[in-house]
This record gives sequence, structure tokens and C-alpha cells, in this order.
Amino acid sequence: MATLLTMPKLGLTMTEGTIGEWYKKEGDTVEVGDLLYQLETDKLTNDIEAKEAGVLRKILLQSGEEAECFASVGIIAASDEDISDLLSGNSGAEAPAVDMSADAKAAPAVEISAEAVSPGGRIISSPAAKKLARTKEIDITLIKGTGPNGRITLEDVEKYVPAAASASVKASPVAHKVAEELGVDVNQVPGSGRVMKADVLAFVHGDKDTVSDNERKPMSTMRKVISKRMTESWTTCPTVTYDISVDMTALTAIKDSFKDAGVKVSHTDLLVYVVANTLPEFPLLNCSIDGNDIIYHHYVNMGVAVAVSDGLVVPVIKHAHAKKVSQISSEFKILAQEAKDGRLTPDNMTGGTFTITNLGMLGIEAFSPIVNLPEVAILGVNAIIDTVISKNGTFVVRPLMKLSLSADHRAVDGAVAAQFLAALRKKMENPALLML
Amino acid sequence: MTKIAVIGGGPGGYVAAIRAAQLGAEVTLIEKSRLGGTCLNVGCIPTKALLSSAHLYESVKEGKAQGVIAEPFLDFSQIQKNKASVVSRLVSGVGGLLKANHVRVIQGTASFEDQSNLVVTDVNGEQQTLSSDKIIIASGSIPVIPPIPGVNIPQCIDSTQALSLESVPSSMLIIGGGVIGLELATAYHSFGTKITVVEMTPEILPMMDAELVQMLRKKLKRIGIEVITGAKVASVEEKNGIAYVQVEKNGITTSYTADKVLVSVGRRTDTEALNLEAAGIRHDRGRIQVDKFLLTNLPNVYAIGDCLGKIMLAHVASAQGEAAAEHAMGHLADIYSDKTIPSCVYTDPELATVGLTEEKAKEAGIGYIVGRFPLAANGKALIMNGGEGAIKIIADAKYHEVLGVHILGPRATDLITEGALAIRLEATLEELITTIHAHPTIGEAVREAALAAEGRAIHIPN
Repeated sequence: MATLLTMPKLGLTMTEGTIGEWYKKEGDTVEVGDLLYQLETDKLTNDIEAKEAGVLRKILLQSGEEAECFASVGIIAASDEDISDLLSGNSGAEAPAVDMSADAKAAPAVEISAEAVSPGGRIISSPAAKKLARTKEIDITLIKGTGPNGRITLEDVEKYVPAAASASVKASPVAHKVAEELGVDVNQVPGSGRVMKADVLAFVHGDKDTVSDNERKPMSTMRKVISKRMTESWTTCPTVTYDISVDMTALTAIKDSFKDAGVKVSHTDLLVYVVANTLPEFPLLNCSIDGNDIIYHHYVNMGVAVAVSDGLVVPVIKHAHAKKVSQISSEFKILAQEAKDGRLTPDNMTGGTFTITNLGMLGIEAFSPIVNLPEVAILGVNAIIDTVISKNGTFVVRPLMKLSLSADHRAVDGAVAAQFLAALRKKMENPALLML
Repeated sequence: MTKIAVIGGGPGGYVAAIRAAQLGAEVTLIEKSRLGGTCLNVGCIPTKALLSSAHLYESVKEGKAQGVIAEPFLDFSQIQKNKASVVSRLVSGVGGLLKANHVRVIQGTASFEDQSNLVVTDVNGEQQTLSSDKIIIASGSIPVIPPIPGVNIPQCIDSTQALSLESVPSSMLIIGGGVIGLELATAYHSFGTKITVVEMTPEILPMMDAELVQMLRKKLKRIGIEVITGAKVASVEEKNGIAYVQVEKNGITTSYTADKVLVSVGRRTDTEALNLEAAGIRHDRGRIQVDKFLLTNLPNVYAIGDCLGKIMLAHVASAQGEAAAEHAMGHLADIYSDKTIPSCVYTDPELATVGLTEEKAKEAGIGYIVGRFPLAANGKALIMNGGEGAIKIIADAKYHEVLGVHILGPRATDLITEGALAIRLEATLEELITTIHAHPTIGEAVREAALAAEGRAIHIPN
């Protein structure tokens, strides 16, 4: 059957993608698993594999061209198959956009599956498909369309197998029952061949015979996102962490004087302000890498990591470089509260250009944060510790704080990072410079 | 090429030899007597041959009700010849299989010289040394002769001798109400021998489901086989070619006379000739100790089957033989599991069991439900034997997992495989129920018993 290839949606924030390079030419035979093309997004570059075998009959989106998610990029079909329908369908007006504002709270980059949903949330399907789905009592929204633009065809409905029945793992009837009772997805249970009761119990209790001290639980959605994004960052960017000690006497004095004036701000608020006002001098620390391009941002959207009950989110203070400390402080208070309540919207969490993460209140003295892609740098803030230092031939006690900057070496070289930290320190130790 | 020596050509040894050869080993099998071991030569097979003749004789005698009227004549020497012919066909079949798999067979008795060398002595006393990488011991078992005064008089015979009697004895007292004793009781009773079975424990066939055993006992009683349980043979004496047996029960001694006294109190491992000490193989009074891989305390020596002194069944020995051969050849996946060992008694009707008995389930404190179905309500059984027998299924109360299947009835021993498969696959009653069973078969009763466990049998009131 002829298959229309569409621009995949690889993450919540992906709205469009660019074909970096086609690995196949029109007329090439394609096997399942063959690399078709390189897909570039503002975040990453992916190789897209063929899910169907056949002949790459038509390339609809050429190398270097950009298109919205779900737009047609090519057609795979048998060598002698009539693909005129698909070709004409492609020129049709039904280019769908995906509504993604809803149902995505508190999850920075949850993948949503490529369903054929029109802007109004309407499912694109043939009337016959709709009717059959009704007759078979199948929820049509669960079906993945294979027609043009992901349209659900009659055949899709016919072939649809409910998730429970399509369980790919062989398991004994008792294993199924035990898994159901314990709320375990039998597909997740490792077993050698057929999954037996003991395998399910071992999966739940950690051991076949004894109650174990270990407990196995599936990851929460947020944990999965964190896991995926951290792994992606760790495996994509070569980072270097740079530490510098800053004398916090002056900045703490400012904090205290604000307090005397009746405005309570935190060290984090002040740091956001100082960093946001320093970054414009170091465009390489406020950029994103996209393939072989560097995207410079002429604004600072400051992400601040917030620990929540079951994970971590990074709300973003938009245009922080143009805001006063008091604005930053009140905005961040609201964002942090919403984060803790799980009420952040995707808009609150996207578009960051730099991130600050503060572990100082927990006594951490230095660490190496992981860059929050597609940003290139993240600043770790540590505890302020009264330290004896030598000054002018005598010992004095100063409240010192380390800043730990992790930067993606693809964009940020050591000297640049060091200069940035030096500039930061200078402003933090002489806040008057901020008024210049 | 890995050199593997297998000691013993019974259902454990020859299967292990073939499996090892299939996996690429250079295999030598040492057999001191005849290929096929106890099972083929003096066990399962000849017993079943005699039982088949007995059954046919019985059927013809009772053919009147079904409209077949004939007066059968028992030619016992032909019965023995037929038995011998079946045995020799199977034995030569084993020889052929070993040859086809390029297994070298050496006639002789093996004994360990050290950890990896065996000395094989043939009937003429000639010796050769066999050096191997791995050794699989499958030396089997021999009947136990208990220390009863007078047990060595010529009238006392063991199961081997009972299989090759020249004529049908007029009476036989059987010491031991186990599988062997009851099967030979069944055969000789049909041939016309007056049978008395003396069992020391409170019940015959203690490992089988007690409810079905009770039904079997009633049948034995009805046809005139006397079974005395909780009784002990105090002594045996010979007077004028007749054995006088003193049977003690509840402190009272009764005297029985019999042409033959069959001693079938059990079997013990046949490991004395192996010289296990020379290799330092750990054993407990001849019972070789193995781990879950059937490995002895030596890393290159396995032991399987009866010589372990645990479950003495041919099919267990074969299963262990395959597992040991695979492990010896570096395949670690299959571990022999004893969860689904069927056990069969070729009485009339047959009794077969697999998995947990109700007694064991109770003992283990498992929450269970029971489904019973009498074969009187099954058409095929009614045709075959008047509907004698029943099927009983034990299932887990919570998940309805099939834990035990027990069958008393015609073809029970063939039918038990369904139960073994159900347990092996962790089937629940639902799978037994939703599997369509052919009609008319006794197998339908398995499904009905499963239905009965859920209180919804069709062909009996629930």
C-alpha cells in the first residue's frame, strides 16, 4: 500500500522541521529500518527511518526545505503502484496544525503522538472509517491514520487492534491475571520467552521467593521527560564546568537594604538580574546550536530550576534582561508557586535561553549542572560560606560563594566562559557597575 | 569435540546420549545389560504388555453385555512371547537411534577411576579405560528386598521375576501397595490369580489424590482383590512349595498362603558398582546428590534419573537426561523443573495425576477450589468401562490457576497430558473451559470438571 511520509512531531515544542539531507533518491528501494532522511529541528537533528518497505516514489520536501509537522515529505509505494491519489491529496487544503496548548501542563517536553487532529480538535477520517469505528465500538481518536496527512482510512479501522489485545509479550494466563491485579503492564515484565507468574511477582517484588527491599515502579511522565532530556544533553553536548568564587558582601548588603525598604528579594532574584544583565555582553553564552548553525538570541529568557514534589521543572522569566529586580522577584514567586502546584503551562516553560539552578540553600559548595538543551550554558549557584581569606597581608572573613558554570564547548570555549564568569563576579562584587 | 560418557542405557541415559550427540558431543554410552534399562526390559513396557493381554482377556470375557460372546483361552506362554517381542522391538529401536546419532555403545560395567576416567569391565572381565570431558551418571535403580525373615525362599519374587513367570500362579501375596504392586495385581488378577496386597502405610498409593484412591480401592475390593493397609509382613515360610505369610495388623497376626509372594516395597539406587568414592562424588547412602543443573559436586559429572533416589519415573529420567546433556554442552537456558511431572498407575481403571493433590494444597495452606466430574456422566466413559471413575481438578481460589489434575478412568494416563500442559502453561480454568473438547471423548470430562470448579458444569447438577 502506498504510504505518505509526513514530517514527524518529535516533541511537544516541535512545530516544524527541516530536511537536512535525503539519504535516498526518488526511485530507490526502501527496506523497513533504512535511513530515509536527516531531520533538523531547533533542538536537535534526527535520522528518520523507514517504517514501510517499497520504493521512494516521490520526494515532496527537498533537502534544506522546512515544513510544519505532519506536512507531506515523500511517498513510499510499490514500484508500479498508482500514487496519483496521494499526490493530489497532498496538494489539498487539509494541512493540519496541531493544537498543543491544552493538556500539557507541568511537562516540559511530553511527546504527543502524531494523531490526525485538525486545529479544532477534529479527527480527520473518512466517513466510512468513522461509521465502521462506531459499529465496532472503537474510539476513533486512538487510531493512527495512514492516509494523506494522517487521515484515518477504512483500512486503518479494520486493522486497528486495541492496545490490550495487541500486547506483544507472551505471558501465561495466570501471569496476565496477577499483573492485572497488581496493576503491572505485563509488557513491561522481563522474562525469558514466555512471561510466567513468577516473573510478574519478581518484577513487582524484586525477587521470586522473598519479599524484597527493592520496589520497581514505572517512571512518572515528568521523570521520563527529565530522563530523556538529561540523557539527550549528556550524550549530545561536550560540556565543561567552570567554578569561580565570588565575595557576596556587596550583593548581600543590597539584599538587606531592599529588605529595609520593605522589598524582599532572594539571592536567586538578584542573580537572575545580574546574569541577565551580563549575558548580552556574551552572546555565545546566550545562544542555541542548531545543526551547523548558531542561533543568537537578542534577549534573555531566564530559566530557573525549581524542585517540585516529584521532580524538577524550569519555568522561564521572559525578557529578564529588560526587567527590574522587583519585577523579576515577583514574577518568579508566582512561577515557582505555579510550578509547585503543577499549574505551569507549556508557555511558562519554553523559550529559555539560559538557566540558573540554585542548590546553595542546601549547602552545596560546587557541582556540575547539565545543560538544558537547546541552551548552551547553565549556571549552578552554591552556598554562601564565611571563609577566611588573606587580604592585604592579613586574614579576613568573607562570605564567599562559588558559581559553577557548565557550558557546551561546541559554542563556548574556555576563555569565553572564564571571561563571562569574571564579568559576573565583577558585577556581583561591585553592584554599582550595574547602574552604568 | 566434547567427549561425553553416559553410564546406563535406560530412558535417562539413552535420551541424554542422543541429546548430547545432537548438540555435537562425541558420546560413549556404557550399558551393563540391555539398552532401554529397567523401563523397557523389566519395568514399564513389559508390565503394560502383560496388562494389555489381561485387559483383552477381561474384555472378551465380559463381552456378553456388549453383544460379543466368546470363551477366551489364556495362552500364557504366548502372552510372554508377545511381551518379549514388544520389548525386543523397542530395545533394538533404541540401539538404532543411538547408532543413527553416532553414539558409541560399550557393553560393560562402569566404575570411576578418578574424576574423569572410567574403567569399563565387560562380561569376560576385560577392562578398558575411558577418558571423558563430561560424565552423565544414569545408573538407575534395583528393587529393594526388605529384611523380612524368609524373604529369600524361592516363592518370593521381585517385580523382574513377576514379569517373566512361566505360568499363572493360583495365588499371589503382594508386599507393597505402590504402583508396581498394584499394576501386577491388576494383571495377574485378570489372568485368574487370587491377589492379596499388603501395604504398611494407612493407604495405598500415598502420593495420589486420596478421594480417587478410595474409589479405586472400592473397585479393587469389588472385583476381589484384597487390600490390607496399615499391615506388616512379619515373616515368610515355605511348606511344600507354598509360601506361608504372617501378616501383622493392629497387633493381630493372620496367616496367608500364596503360590508366589511378590516383594514390591520400592526401589533403591544402583550405584554400588560405580565406585563413587574414587572420584569423590557426594552421595547419601547411594543416592547421588545434585544441584538444580543436575551437576554433582564435581564440575564435570552429572547424575540423572533413579540413581538420585528421588522421583523414580522413566519420563523424569528422560527430562533430566535432556537437561543434563544441554547443560553439559553449554546450553544454560533449560532447567529441569519438577512442577509438572505426571504420574500414572495402570490399574483398571487407570489412575493418573499431575500437580498438587487436594491433600498437598491443604498442607501448603493454599486457597483452592475443587472441580469434580464423575465419568458416569460422560458418554465415552460409559461406553468404554461403564462410566467408572472421576476427574478432579484443583485450582487456585484467587486466579483459578490450574494446580492439580487427577483422573481415574479409562485412558487416564493418556489424558493427563492435558493437565500437565495446563499447569506448565500456567493455564487457568478459563483456558480449559474455552478450549473446545471433541465429542464424544473422555477429555470432555476434563472441561466439565473445570466448569464444576466454577459451579457451572453442564452435565451434572452443580
